[in-house]
Amino acid sequence: MLLSKKEISILIEIVYSIVFALIFLPYFYENQEKTLILMDGLVEKIIQIIICTVIYFAIAYSILEVAFKKKETRDERDDMINSKSYKLGYLLYEFSLFIFIGYVCSKFQNKELFNLTGNLELYNSFQLTDAGIVFIVLVLLAFISVIKSLYQFYLYRTV
Amino acid sequence: MILKNNLKEVRQKKGLTQEELGANVGVSRQTIISIERYRYKPTLELAMKLAENLNIKIEKLFYFEQE
Repeated sequence: MLLSKKEISILIEIVYSIVFALIFLPYFYENQEKTLILMDGLVEKIIQIIICTVIYFAIAYSILEVAFKKKETRDERDDMINSKSYKLGYLLYEFSLFIFIGYVCSKFQNKELFNLTGNLELYNSFQLTDAGIVFIVLVLLAFISVIKSLYQFYLYRTV
Repeated sequence: MILKNNLKEVRQKKGLTQEELGANVGVSRQTIISIERYRYKPTLELAMKLAENLNIKIEKLFYFEQE
């Protein structure tokens, strides 16, 4: 299966999203019950993410440029594929935003459970911290990014 | 009705490669392949550029076929 430069750059993005999710998301998952200020090594983790991202893309695109020296033309087909895949990404963002708002609202509503039942354990299980929100947002971003890029890749292979 | 084209035949008659034709009209080789395989319908602008470049009337290059 021969891949074009554009297809490989999409694969680079997909790999980045998956690797990012596998390496960095567990950290946010483990700390989701804390608040952001209390998270151990948050600043270091953010710096690590930025450095890793810059290094990854610099290396990946440098290799790509060396392997495909010829500059590829960007034309109307690329615009059509991009608009279709970004549209899907946008719809997924919109949909997940509604789900997310509903989730947050349900968490807040469940504070009433404590008032009604007085059960502290039950109340704690429905607590939502800012770190928890960050974790959910990052999961959604990674997931939507992968879906969008996969769809873009599929369109490049079939259109 | 399906939009079809004679792009491949006309291009081969003119002795042009997909790469060359793409470069002449400012699109990639993949776009020419997609048009020839009826996977992608070009915009009017690109269709006219292709017809002009291949020195053929646009209605001879692109045509409708009954399903």
